[in-house]
Amino acid sequence: MPSREDTNGGASSASPSEPAPPPQQQLAKAKGKKKDEKKDDDLSEDDRAFKEQLELYVVRAQDPDPSVQKLALESMRQEIRTATSSMTSVPKPLKFLRPHYGTLKAYFETMAESDMKKYMADILSVLALTMSAEGERESLKYRMIGSEGDIGSWGHEYVRNLAGEIAQEFQKRQYDDMPIDSLMELVQQIVSFHMKHNAEPEAVDLLMEVEDLDLLVDHVDSTNYKRACLYLTSSSKYLPAPDDMLALDIAFNIYMKFGDLASALRISLLLDNKSQYVKQVFTATDDFLLKKQFAYIIARHGLSTEIDDDIAADENEKEALQEIINNTKLSEGYLTLARDIEVMEPKSPEDIYKVHLIDGRGATSSSLDSARQNLAATFVNAFVNAGFGQDKLMTAPSDSSSSGSSGNWLFKNKEHGKASAAASLGMILLWDSDSGLAQLDKYLHSNDTHVVAGALLGIGIVSCGVKSDCDPAFALISEYINRDEPIIRIGAILGLGIAYAGSQKEEIRGHLAAILSDIQTPLEVLVFSAISLGLVFVGSCNEEIAQTIIFVLMDRSEAELAEPIMRLLPVALGLLYLGKQESVEATAEVAKTFDEKIRNYCDVILMSLAYAGTGNVLKVQKLLGICSQHLEKGEIHQGPAVLGISLIAMAEELGAEMAVRSLERLLQYGEQNIRRAVPLALGLLCVSNPKVNVMDTMSRLSHDADTEVSMAAIISLGLIGAGTNNARIAGMLRNLTSYYYKEAGHLFCVRIAQGLVHLGKGLLTLSPYHSDRFLLSPIALAGLVTVLHACLDMKSIILGKYHYMLYILVLAMQPRMLLTVDEDLKPLAVPVRVGQAVDVVGQAGRPKTITGFQTHSTPVLLAAGERAELATEKYLPLSPVLEGFVILRKNPEYHDD
Amino acid sequence: MPTVNVKWQKETFQGIEVDTSQPPIVFKSQLYTLTGVPPERQKIMVKGGILKDDTDWSTLGVKDGQKLMMIGTADEIVKAPEKGPVFVEDLPEEEQVIALGHSAGLYNLGNTCYMNSTLQCLHSVPELKSALLSYSDNVRGNGVDQASHNLTVATRNTFGELDQSVRPVAPLLFLQALRKKYPQFAQQQNNVYMQQDAEECWTQLVYTFSQTLASEASEPPAGPTKELFGIDLVSRVHCAESGEESLERESVYSLKCHISHDVNHLHEGLKHGLKSELEKASPSLGRTALYTRESKINELPRYLTVQFVRFFWKRESNQKAKILRKVDYPLELDVYDFCSDELKQKLQAPRQMLRDAENAKFGLKAQGKASSSKENEGSSSTAAESSSMDIDKADSSAPKKQLTGIYDLIAVLTHKGRSADSGHYVGWVKQDDGKWIEFDDDNPSIRKGEEILKLSGGGDWHMAYICLYKARFI
Repeated sequence: MPSREDTNGGASSASPSEPAPPPQQQLAKAKGKKKDEKKDDDLSEDDRAFKEQLELYVVRAQDPDPSVQKLALESMRQEIRTATSSMTSVPKPLKFLRPHYGTLKAYFETMAESDMKKYMADILSVLALTMSAEGERESLKYRMIGSEGDIGSWGHEYVRNLAGEIAQEFQKRQYDDMPIDSLMELVQQIVSFHMKHNAEPEAVDLLMEVEDLDLLVDHVDSTNYKRACLYLTSSSKYLPAPDDMLALDIAFNIYMKFGDLASALRISLLLDNKSQYVKQVFTATDDFLLKKQFAYIIARHGLSTEIDDDIAADENEKEALQEIINNTKLSEGYLTLARDIEVMEPKSPEDIYKVHLIDGRGATSSSLDSARQNLAATFVNAFVNAGFGQDKLMTAPSDSSSSGSSGNWLFKNKEHGKASAAASLGMILLWDSDSGLAQLDKYLHSNDTHVVAGALLGIGIVSCGVKSDCDPAFALISEYINRDEPIIRIGAILGLGIAYAGSQKEEIRGHLAAILSDIQTPLEVLVFSAISLGLVFVGSCNEEIAQTIIFVLMDRSEAELAEPIMRLLPVALGLLYLGKQESVEATAEVAKTFDEKIRNYCDVILMSLAYAGTGNVLKVQKLLGICSQHLEKGEIHQGPAVLGISLIAMAEELGAEMAVRSLERLLQYGEQNIRRAVPLALGLLCVSNPKVNVMDTMSRLSHDADTEVSMAAIISLGLIGAGTNNARIAGMLRNLTSYYYKEAGHLFCVRIAQGLVHLGKGLLTLSPYHSDRFLLSPIALAGLVTVLHACLDMKSIILGKYHYMLYILVLAMQPRMLLTVDEDLKPLAVPVRVGQAVDVVGQAGRPKTITGFQTHSTPVLLAAGERAELATEKYLPLSPVLEGFVILRKNPEYHDD
Repeated sequence: MPTVNVKWQKETFQGIEVDTSQPPIVFKSQLYTLTGVPPERQKIMVKGGILKDDTDWSTLGVKDGQKLMMIGTADEIVKAPEKGPVFVEDLPEEEQVIALGHSAGLYNLGNTCYMNSTLQCLHSVPELKSALLSYSDNVRGNGVDQASHNLTVATRNTFGELDQSVRPVAPLLFLQALRKKYPQFAQQQNNVYMQQDAEECWTQLVYTFSQTLASEASEPPAGPTKELFGIDLVSRVHCAESGEESLERESVYSLKCHISHDVNHLHEGLKHGLKSELEKASPSLGRTALYTRESKINELPRYLTVQFVRFFWKRESNQKAKILRKVDYPLELDVYDFCSDELKQKLQAPRQMLRDAENAKFGLKAQGKASSSKENEGSSSTAAESSSMDIDKADSSAPKKQLTGIYDLIAVLTHKGRSADSGHYVGWVKQDDGKWIEFDDDNPSIRKGEEILKLSGGGDWHMAYICLYKARFI
């Protein structure tokens, strides 16, 4: 035996005397006998002896005497089982037995039913591993006839091959409507074998093939359930529609089975019917601290959940959990982070522009105010100081005169600019509804309609993602919804939309649907009502609202539909079905009956939004197809199609990368209306994730001759760098200020982008994905999509009088922090390692999940693609993913040395 | 009587009694005493909205220990300032210009970039502008034809428009007047007006101004144009064969920079340009003989025009071909070497003063002396930049301004392309704040000083064709 091993090893190192490299051997079969004989001569002494012995076994196996036969078969079996082989070579016994496969097969047919026959079938089954012709599935066939013994004893390769044949056989049997019970038995065996041998992916794959994932639950154990679930969840991204939910459901069940409730909760947030699963997770434990952690995870996702008696019986506990879910402490945590990083000092727009770094050709400093530049400064100021509660323009330093500088800055803006200025206060005081509402309240008493409108919008922004039992935002705003002045109505309606995004609040539906149905409603009010409804009822598939919007689209005249702002109406409709895939189909059918001017446009928007974040390749292809058409003038549905590609493909890394390449092609070969949307689509794909290649593309496009392309590229530079303080993008934008110093529109875009890059002084992110890029917040995505669609017609919407739509981005703003808190929810500084995330899906053992890490003390910032892990054993995190608020519990097994 | 907790901003007031039999205003006054927020400014969140003054408490079902929220501040309500700010966007165009920092561009009216660039360069001479401003519509000097008069008026008007507009100007009337006066600019090919030589346009314009503007003064050679652009040359014509020698005096409006194989710098080119050989009949020899002619500058202008002789007539292709050779030119040109001895003498003293002033700037000379000369320089430089020529004149008489022979580059007219009658002309003009503006027809854009020096040729990029230098006074 040892000698055989030697030659086997020697084959790969190919000593000249025995040149028998395995690939050649395999070829030999095809090349005829002559070569075969020749090769025999090259065999070593040992091999030849072994070969002859095997041949003898073959002859004896056909011996009429059962005892001889049995002995031969058993020896053969022994040889095969004990043979070791490397990945690249066929084991010797199999190789030498190959010429006799046909003989044995023929003899097998003549054998009578007996144990002998089963033995023979076993051997044939193994031999078929290398011999069987493609598609014959003989290995499986003989296996089924065989003795059904321990499957693993024949080796890993045999099991894998069998698994593959089962998958094929399964398909065939399903097609022919044949019973599959015998197969399933085998599947059971194989799965349990795989699960025992660190081959979870193979087991999962097989079960997916035979469409019986439920079996997995019985076979996982505490050592491998994590890997199995990881594989399940990450492969779910690539599965077609019903299967992915099934896979997630199984993963959820497995996590529940092993009591990994936090992981189960993460999955439940991906499933349809969330609240039911969420409740199941909550009720599965009595650990109050763990429930608090659950509440943090839910709060980050933005799911509005009502804590009822099932979840927590105790009134105090209920209140505590509801407080966390309401994000009441978000502002506090964010400010803790800011203080720790020492960025509390307010920044002025000039600190961002850094004019002194632009050599010689910065914008001419004029003593006069430019309304547009002041408006840009308002936005920059709002974005940069978002959530900090203080700034240098709007929040007056208390020691100055009574009217304060805020009044002054407010009135340095023109007309609707004042609305944005007042609303910027809401952005500065983001999440801090206590002092935010107090500061905004005084503006409601202003006699300037724009200021009132801005204050209402500001109230909405302050309360974005933060709920309160008293519901102050609704109480304050709802009075203004039916005022006469359109601008006040818009402010109020948009404010409601932002404040209650994703909450599905019935009162809002009542108010806004009435506005939509009123034929007297001015167009812009109508559009903003629809958008707010879309935001509040995002992904709800609410039929009634859909009907209302559809009626508007059918009723309004062609001239009205041609208004630029009306392009957002179908977007509002699409938001209702965001990520809901097939649920959109009924509505999409109705959309086909629309006026032909908007029919295609609606169709593309509905499809792209409904499949947003699903990674559905077929839909991406369909959209690419739309982009390749040559359009008659006046059709505008290709821009949304381009955006749709990235909306759908952003679901996972691979798809996103492919989409980046497809978009590059569109850029080169597409027509102008397509090129205009490409920068925005790239911006959406890489939001708050400045990839160098995308950055370069944007830099190139920002100098494009077409103004729409360059403006879109500039805004997108801001999007991809949002909240990163990326020095390279900041430098590019500075250069663009001097390049476009004369173009007011471009300059405005550059300023907005600058504000975005320094969003929250670099503490915020706009990425809708969180929890290790696993969960997609529909609210955040809705915000991004709405703004991007508005950017498709930059000139008439963002550069026109609807610039305050940029505030809708607030829905996607989240601190990109890791804040660890102790059991009393007080911030707790612990060392953590932060590094680039490594994909460990399908890897055996416990591989490292981060690379190139640095050790910091919490609270800490996490960039795109980064992951954190605790660098101390002293505490145990209650959440599997260290992001946002994480509760740490003392490790009972930890002892101070 | 239920008691409630009221949350106001970050504070919570515990256990406030609500008298449900009284109207809510009573409750509000209770809060007024606690928070100082006047009742009319208080907004109290109750179920389904804000507590109104006429609401009946019983309909709200206030429970004991319920949490209410009150919003409102006693802060002063923001009021719009009496006088709102003035926005650039609202200003009439003329005032936007000031904010813009440079004057407007000129529309290309069909191969008229030669004219646009010339106009932009000449527009950079404030003295010429003011001289034109004082040119009156109806007074026509003797000996000036109608066409020249019209052209001058058109120039004045165009310059005026340039100064007052943010949007590009269409110099239609000027073009008409130019073509009327000089029909060669109306040359057409395939029914399209042809591209013309900018140098020709420049020369003709300056000549016209010398006629029209000078005519107001009685003496023909005097007048602003002569003073501004005229260069007096004294030439020694020498015949090697016969030994004859004569002196000639002439007045030109530009110096030529001849470009031959060994010319790499403006200085060398100018030297070439001032030296020439010619054949003419020699009275003593009785036949034609070779004469050399060497010119020296006898009197310097306030604005020195230097023309790069980049074009020559190529017989084979029947067009003006271009010499692409790179010829460097400085931002600061010293013409001392080209001056006649007499002029050199005159320049000695001011140059010394200038040198002293410059040294003083670097702190090399005694402080006392330096400061005085510095002041001097300061006043003269501001004077030079002042727009009115009359003030300028008055100014120069008082502290006695002197030429130094040193010139600063203020405008460059460049050409891009392979022949004079094709390609594209662009004017590059320095602004008062030291920035350069590239006037590419209707599209002015800001450039840096170092970019201007890159226009020296040697490739297919824009290359300097005419440089306009401004004298530095002391």
